[in-house]
Amino acid sequence: MADIIQIVVLGLALGGVYALMGSGLSLVFGVMRIVNLAHPSLIMGGAYVAYWGFRLYGVDPLIALPVAAIILAATGVLLYKLIFEREAKSAKYSEMTVLLTFAIAMIVEGGLATAFTNTQRVTSPGYATDAFFIGSVFIPKGQLYAGMVSLALIAALALFLKYSRFGYAIRATTQNREAAELMGVNVNMVGLVSFAIGIGLAGAAGALVSFVFSFFPSKHWEWVAVLMSLVVLGGMGSILGTVVAAYVLSVLAAFVGYFFGATWSVLTFYLALFVVLLVRPQGLFGEKPEMA
Amino acid sequence: MSNIGETSDILAQRKTYNAGLSQVSDKSRATWFPLLLLALLTALPALQLVGNYNYLIHLVLYTLCYVVMASGWNILGGYAGYISLGHNVFFAVGGYFAGMVFARLGISTIIIAPIAGLVAAALGYLIGLITLRVRGPSFIISSLALVMIFRIAFENWHFVGGAAGVSLQANDMDVQWAKLPYYYAFLAMAAFALWASYRIRHSKFGLGLRAISKDEVKAESAGIDTRFYKVLACAISAFFVGMAGAVWGEYLTYIRPNIFLVILISVNMVLMCILGGKGTVAGPALGAVLIVAFNEFFVATLGASAVNIMATGVIMAVALMFFPNGIIGTLAKHRKLPRILNWD
Repeated sequence: MADIIQIVVLGLALGGVYALMGSGLSLVFGVMRIVNLAHPSLIMGGAYVAYWGFRLYGVDPLIALPVAAIILAATGVLLYKLIFEREAKSAKYSEMTVLLTFAIAMIVEGGLATAFTNTQRVTSPGYATDAFFIGSVFIPKGQLYAGMVSLALIAALALFLKYSRFGYAIRATTQNREAAELMGVNVNMVGLVSFAIGIGLAGAAGALVSFVFSFFPSKHWEWVAVLMSLVVLGGMGSILGTVVAAYVLSVLAAFVGYFFGATWSVLTFYLALFVVLLVRPQGLFGEKPEMA
Repeated sequence: MSNIGETSDILAQRKTYNAGLSQVSDKSRATWFPLLLLALLTALPALQLVGNYNYLIHLVLYTLCYVVMASGWNILGGYAGYISLGHNVFFAVGGYFAGMVFARLGISTIIIAPIAGLVAAALGYLIGLITLRVRGPSFIISSLALVMIFRIAFENWHFVGGAAGVSLQANDMDVQWAKLPYYYAFLAMAAFALWASYRIRHSKFGLGLRAISKDEVKAESAGIDTRFYKVLACAISAFFVGMAGAVWGEYLTYIRPNIFLVILISVNMVLMCILGGKGTVAGPALGAVLIVAFNEFFVATLGASAVNIMATGVIMAVALMFFPNGIIGTLAKHRKLPRILNWD
């Protein structure tokens, strides 16, 4: 019994981090219909900001988090202006944007590897290796803090989307781009801002990831499929769905890791992706099935 | 009675008109060029008699391997419009199947290659049944996840040596001639792949695939069995990629997950087709030549693989943004395609 509680706790702790990693992706897909394969590589960028902040100046990753978020958000604005704004007219928009984000992912990966080599890194503030004990159940402090910060950020995002005027505009654009435009929403501006928020969230997630996982530039490919499975299971574009999927799959992966060994735990995500595509292609909270 | 006569008149007129059209396209085609290319490449190893051109032969062999793979990818990704980032799974399956047969029974992978291709095709059929239910971004994502699944599976499968793989016996020929069996195997496969893409493009099947890539719903309502067509296209394209993988393993003298199941290989296939021209016959071949040349150039001048990845990304982004139809497609659109490159 204690074992099972332990597994659930570890799964939930990781789930929080995955939820933040996935929610930016989900936001961008919802508003822009872009499947951003570069998202994990941008998370990697955020992780390096936090890593060097800690290594060079001893800045705690949690304090470096806003800095990473701002730097990455600025990158997001740049990418949007350079690439995605002009692609909006493309006939094969969804396909084109996937391939373009793929190219961006390679550029970011290559850039990071050129600058910082493919050495494995991890930010190690004191709490990263520490743990709380409740009875015999231990909770790693690093993952707990990361999970709590991500939940706070996701809650802030949800409140912003629900109550702010701009949040209305974003949700309206997600639901129906043309109708929103007819109602006077500046959809291009909405696209730009939500893209920047989405990539900014990737930066924030990167700062958290930097002390939860060890990382190196080409590791983002492992995250791509993991994050995509969250987004597909949750229903493309549904942030709530992504968060729920993150928790469900993380706990499931923790169980798989416990019973079959750690190598297989990540397989949970990939297989889940296939099962969802087979059984319910629109995901848990998705509306439009993209059935062929 | 006269009515029937008129109809047959019209039919006859249409027939001559069609014949005229096909003559025009025949004139714009230079069949001699691919044949000349084939003859030149067949004769190329003769250079070994006058000097050491092993590096050149390796480069051509490497390019031919990618011609096979990119042409295979093109059947699903170019003709049917289903972009797969996971085709190196079939490369790995073909390589492992032939490699294991070679390691256990000693039968050369060149002989096993067609069977390895069929194994890959069978797998492609099964995978296609699942992943081709969704299209667009979801399909691309699922193809990416496939690579991850196979990577984990192969790295932990002890029978095929896990992450360390299996080393294969190198052939006992003279260094000067050792590459040649593989060279001719790849040359034959490349010629076969290009011929097959030409035949498929001009078949009813190929027409159906192109209809699917333009508008799947309309294609379906026009009576095309889109599900079967797509899955078959996936199987055929897996066949070629698997065949290339089979010989590639023996050529390198080892099979290991990290030579087959790296994302850069599937990216290369996609990139070659996009750069050369998706859905054309010559596009993948031209793209393969260009990308291999680019890669060699970057590795030779800059040396680092990280820079190579970045450069590949930049080329991909630029090609996508400015030449979405690829070199062949863009030239053909402006009616400036030289006759020697019109292989369609």
